[in-house]
Amino acid sequence: MSEKISRRDFLKLASVGAATTAVLTGCGPASRYVTREPYTKMPEYTYNGLSTYYATTCRECAAACGLIVRTMQGRAIKVEGNKGNPVNLGKTCARGQATLHGLYNPDRVENPVQQGRAKNFATEAMTWDAAVQVVADAFKNNDPSEIGFLLGMAPDHLFDLVSDLAKSVGAPAPVRFGVLSMFESRATLSKAAENLLGQSGMPFFDVGGSDIVLSFGANFLETWLSPVAYTRGFAKLRRGDPKHRGYFIQFESRMSLTASRADEWIPILPGTEGLVALAIGRLVAEAKGGAVPRAFASVDPAAVATQAGVSLEKLEHAATLILDAQHPLAIPGGAALGQSNGLFTAEAVLAFNALLDNFNQTGGVYLSPLAPNQDEYHRPASAQEMTDFIEKMKSGAVKVLFVHGVNPVFELPKSLGFAEALASVPQVISFATFPDETALASDYIFPDHHGLESWGYQRVVTGTTQSTLSGAQPVVSPYFNTRATADVLIAAAQSAGGKFAEALPFADEVDFIQSKLAGLVGQEGSFLAPEINTFAAYFQQHGGWWKKDAETQVITASNALSKSLKVAPAEFAGEGEFYFLPFVSPTLAEAGANKPWLQELADPTTTVMWNTWVEINPETAHELHLENDDVVKIISEAGEVEAPVYVYPAIRPDTIAMPFGQGHTAYGRYAQGRGANPADVLGQHFNEAGDLAFAGMRVKVEKTGVKKILSRLESRIGVYGEGMGEEH
Amino acid sequence: MTVDLNKLHAVGAIAEEAEGKWGMVIDQDLCTGCQACVAACAMENNIAFVGEEDAGYGRSMHWIRTERFWEGEYPEVRMTDYQPMLCQQCGKAPCEPVCPAFATVHSQAEKINLQVYNRCVGTRYCANNCPYQVRSFNWRDYQDSRIRPEITILANQFNPDVTVRRRGVMEKCTFCIQRIHKAQDKAKSEGREVEDGEFTTACAQACPASAITFGRIDHPESLVSQLARMPHTQHHLEELGTLPSVTYLKGA
Amino acid sequence: MVRKFFEWIISPMGRIAALIAGLSLFTLAAYGVFTLQQSPEQPIQFRHDIHVNLQVQCLYCHPGALRGASPGLPTLTKCWGCHQQIAKTDTSPRLAVLKDYIANGKDIAWVPVAQVPDFVHFNHRPHIAAGVNCEDCHGDMSVQEIAVNPQVMNMGWCLNCHKEKAGDDEVKLTKLTDCGTCHY
Repeated sequence: MSEKISRRDFLKLASVGAATTAVLTGCGPASRYVTREPYTKMPEYTYNGLSTYYATTCRECAAACGLIVRTMQGRAIKVEGNKGNPVNLGKTCARGQATLHGLYNPDRVENPVQQGRAKNFATEAMTWDAAVQVVADAFKNNDPSEIGFLLGMAPDHLFDLVSDLAKSVGAPAPVRFGVLSMFESRATLSKAAENLLGQSGMPFFDVGGSDIVLSFGANFLETWLSPVAYTRGFAKLRRGDPKHRGYFIQFESRMSLTASRADEWIPILPGTEGLVALAIGRLVAEAKGGAVPRAFASVDPAAVATQAGVSLEKLEHAATLILDAQHPLAIPGGAALGQSNGLFTAEAVLAFNALLDNFNQTGGVYLSPLAPNQDEYHRPASAQEMTDFIEKMKSGAVKVLFVHGVNPVFELPKSLGFAEALASVPQVISFATFPDETALASDYIFPDHHGLESWGYQRVVTGTTQSTLSGAQPVVSPYFNTRATADVLIAAAQSAGGKFAEALPFADEVDFIQSKLAGLVGQEGSFLAPEINTFAAYFQQHGGWWKKDAETQVITASNALSKSLKVAPAEFAGEGEFYFLPFVSPTLAEAGANKPWLQELADPTTTVMWNTWVEINPETAHELHLENDDVVKIISEAGEVEAPVYVYPAIRPDTIAMPFGQGHTAYGRYAQGRGANPADVLGQHFNEAGDLAFAGMRVKVEKTGVKKILSRLESRIGVYGEGMGEEH
Repeated sequence: MTVDLNKLHAVGAIAEEAEGKWGMVIDQDLCTGCQACVAACAMENNIAFVGEEDAGYGRSMHWIRTERFWEGEYPEVRMTDYQPMLCQQCGKAPCEPVCPAFATVHSQAEKINLQVYNRCVGTRYCANNCPYQVRSFNWRDYQDSRIRPEITILANQFNPDVTVRRRGVMEKCTFCIQRIHKAQDKAKSEGREVEDGEFTTACAQACPASAITFGRIDHPESLVSQLARMPHTQHHLEELGTLPSVTYLKGA
Repeated sequence: MVRKFFEWIISPMGRIAALIAGLSLFTLAAYGVFTLQQSPEQPIQFRHDIHVNLQVQCLYCHPGALRGASPGLPTLTKCWGCHQQIAKTDTSPRLAVLKDYIANGKDIAWVPVAQVPDFVHFNHRPHIAAGVNCEDCHGDMSVQEIAVNPQVMNMGWCLNCHKEKAGDDEVKLTKLTDCGTCHY
């Protein structure tokens, strides 16, 4: 109906301009060089009103869900899940759906630019030849030991390429970071597995096979590790056995989306999750009879109940349910591990699983298999390791820094001083697709393609027991004048010559990817191919390669129970009457703020759209004379941040919570200047595994007297046209 | 094909009015409120985003939303199951008789409620009369590049099978009728009937928990009609006599 | 105020003014309808009659009609596939335009002639499958020089044919006259 951008106008525009149109042909090796073709030169199958579908991999997080993207006349129209991919089996999350708003985002970096660390985004375009020359000069003019690479959690093929490059020329290995891994406390989880089981790797919790799940802060239905896979597990827990509906208890100080789906939400004092696990474990062990294992021997359930602020009956009730169950399961994660005693909590919950004899069992804990071309599990850097890297940058040991796929200026707590450290690096080159905070603080931005325009692969770290390598291919040709970072690095290395050219002897990115896939040719799997070209074609067609059967690393946890655990109380930094709980926004996550439809989605628990809020218990709000939409200032030892109040009925009175995802100072029109960033008040406190103790802060709350009306979906329900500012 | 609906032990809409053709079952015990359905629906159906201010005025245009309600007070507070709410495609729809322009009419062929955009004159009587509050009105030309220049780029994503609505037009869930037509067309060209599970709506397709099932409610062997005959089903506000086509399953 | 206006409108001057206003509105409307019926300016004055009389099938250049919603407009390569072997291409001034396009590698921005509004979803495939011929809607192209739309493609025209095709078949009639068949 719209005059300007109607369906028909699409067709007209498409026929007029080469600018909006392009096509990819087939999937054989000959077609790997993607060129833009004008509409009228397209093959017939693209202009007959029928769609073409391409398999690729989602890049919105590192879980590596397989996608099938519906394209029409060279435009990506709709994202659908790849039914073959073992991680998501045809399903997608909201962020996966909205990835199209990233692809066709009006605020992308359209050309390579010399940003010059200016406050505003530089728009004057460079040529790609000049850009490649800049990178080549950076390689040539610096000692390899002074080159730094900072990469995001995805894509893996670029990580491999940079790792190979760094290794061959003698540069430090690339540092890999993602804020989701920080909030997931990945380092803590894998360290706990290593300590207790003697094997490193990412534990996978088989929620679907279990019949009672005790989750200690793990927000596995939101952003934790592999949300689509865990949601599928949750569905199986509920409906997998038609005769028996699985039960789910969540211990968490605030009712998160995950907790809201639990049959019982038990709000306990932050930091006591490990103790509660041990206490329930002891109750179970006593009921089972025999000697109480060493790990549980010293704990007193009654004392723990008092300490955690929960009645002993609730713990006994949980123990009874576990004793009646066939496959009970306990999951540690999220804010419970983001405490000073997070490692103890993770170990305690894993020991609890050992008590339940859960390792390598259906409905238990597995160590995720390594992906097909993986030699060992590469854990992303913990916040402690990032701090070390920041110190290195400050000391002047990094002369040139390459940044791809990560936005630490926004993501890391301000108190870690990443922005200042970045300023002391003589040359910073960003490969950002969007003009985010880190890109603006760089000397150059050489934009990579969007994920849907890119080649690549991503290893599946967890989410399935089938060893899986998820493949990515461009579903549309590049919309803007962007270039694959792998191609830029290869071209620059060859231009730099010497060791660099030897390190990357590839024609292009696809050549490199095929060299990494070569080892899989002839192996039994989702398909069998006799040689690399056929393999690569199938790899694109199927959206990856995976083993047909479940295959896990066998856990030999014989002595997990005989170890005594170092019971550590949680320490909270700073002063103030409230525990501060930052959580990743379930709809926006770390990089969704620039996608308008993700902003428009109502937060599942509060229904707030387009903004940041502070969750406060109604009792507490009443005492502080706070109402909905009153802007409060949250003050910690590290900083302060302002946001409006949302009176939240399901949070402990001594805790306030705030979603992470907004508060951008750059990153395009939909994100910039919207909401607040809880990372601004986080301090430099780490747990023993080096993860940030992000939930280990105490804060003060001050009323500012200002009101900022939050847009909420819930006010609309019931009375039509109910205005802003009214109570629901 | 005529089906003796009494033999199917059909409930709600189907039994009373023999109205059902397409139906949906939503398992509230599985819904995690993750919003994947909402995003998928928006992408499939070219739904406009309205921005923070208009959203605050209740003008957001979600065709599907997840509702949740609170029970009790801390610490015994409980959240009800998430309740995905979309057009219930009523057999006797309260929106239909009030439209002075016959823009919201009942499809005799597909047995759903239609919103004919080119007929709609924007009286909003239908939204006023909808007990489920699932109709949304275009208060502005959200998808017009003269008003929002950035739409020129975002419009590349638009689904050409769905009309882009303008200001002053009411809109709502269509049960992805463009997908229904596509599947029917394909089946017809191959000389067969549409098979159960051959296609589904965008929301059901995305749902990570597979909480949403869509299909022929008048075929007793289809998954959706089997689920609709399960115990613990519920039709929202059926006491109003709306005969909804969406069946909700509750937890045990 | 209103009363004054009515008094003025029944006066002679008022009547003349009303007549002029009415006439100009009618003229405008007539002009609007007229322009809608004109064939649009095409980048190449493509002669349908010559091609059709040379026995080129409709579906050769518009193959999508058989399989999908949109019939498609021919690509430059399709034109050139034949024309590079035709001697006249080098001599005809009309075809010089085509040669130009080829030489510059530009695209031909064809202007679609037969259109329905945005809120109508027309699919060619079922119409062809139901035995409707191209010329039933688009006119006899063997006599048309530059393509024009032979009729106003409005809803009445669609429905007349739909009703006729459905005949006495109730189910078919319901489907073919359902709003949701074309509008969504």
